[in-house]
Amino acid sequence: MNSHHLNPSPENSTASLRSVEGIARVVRVDGDQAWLEPEQTTSCGHCASSASCGVSSREEAGIGTVTSRLQARRFYLDNPEGSSGFHEGERLVVGVSESALLMAALTAYGVPLVFALTAGSLTQAWYGDDLATMLGMAAGLALGLLAARFKARRLAAKGALAPRFLRRARPDETCGTV
Amino acid sequence: MKEFALMMIGAALVNNVILARFLGLCSFMGVTTRVDTAAGMGLATTFVITVSSMADWAVQTYLLDAYGLGFLRTVTFILVIASAVQFTEMTIKKVSPSLFQMLGIYLPLITTNCAVLGVALLLVEGRMGFLNATMFAFASSVGYSLVMIIFAGLRERLVLAHVPRLFAGPPIAFIVAGMLAMAFMGFSGIATG
Repeated sequence: MNSHHLNPSPENSTASLRSVEGIARVVRVDGDQAWLEPEQTTSCGHCASSASCGVSSREEAGIGTVTSRLQARRFYLDNPEGSSGFHEGERLVVGVSESALLMAALTAYGVPLVFALTAGSLTQAWYGDDLATMLGMAAGLALGLLAARFKARRLAAKGALAPRFLRRARPDETCGTV
Repeated sequence: MKEFALMMIGAALVNNVILARFLGLCSFMGVTTRVDTAAGMGLATTFVITVSSMADWAVQTYLLDAYGLGFLRTVTFILVIASAVQFTEMTIKKVSPSLFQMLGIYLPLITTNCAVLGVALLLVEGRMGFLNATMFAFASSVGYSLVMIIFAGLRERLVLAHVPRLFAGPPIAFIVAGMLAMAFMGFSGIATG
């Protein structure tokens, strides 16, 4: 299972930095770890209100379905209140800081692009041929993805990409109202 | 070099994808409620537009032009874009599961972003070389991201502003978008000057 480790933070504590918040549902409690699944990933942004259109988040799991996407994005967090903390089916508000989101986007998309465009420009200057430029740019892209991987590992090791538990979601709270 | 720089400025500011060509308006209105999400979406779209333009140029040159299959251009490009998005998603997931979990939400939305197809079709009209085509696509997507972030910043301020109830929400957002488009018209002087 694809996992992501969350840094726990006590309930009622508010993030000192501005954060991007989302709702996740506890799908499994495994000892002192709670596995969560984000609610909002459909193309129209619907989540708990998905009955209002054809995009349901309760469909069968399969290749490319919303359910499979949600399962791929499951993560866990240490149960900060012990085994009596989170329960299956509980909805929690989790958040990541704005700067972390921006850094993640720059790492994932910016770094490979810079490598690809630089490599393409250099190849064009040296060979002046479209095919060579294309190959150079593809090689630069691959190199950039490796650099992004290295950078992402460093960020993950520092805990910079880890969302935090903020509070329990209200019953009427949906992804659009957080 | 000067022509190259002018081409990129023209693609990003003068002929902006959103405000001059009216492409990508769904994400322009839908994902601009916060600056951070707009920036994330903008970066993801920049990556996909650039990568898919590279692939589209190759397909157009070595397949469609070479075998006289120009009539299949639109459907082929749609397939290439969907593949590019899928490739990006798989790569990000492989490169860093943490990044994928944080950013994965933006990627499926890009498949249906008409700006991606629009830029690819513009490249064909332009009859450019590979590097020029890729840089044009990159500059266009940078212009797209820039407008997304500016508009998100304006909308964040609108939330705090006292707006008459009749104009609250999308109506005032559309009015602001129109004013932003007029402001961007000022860049047209760069091309003529």
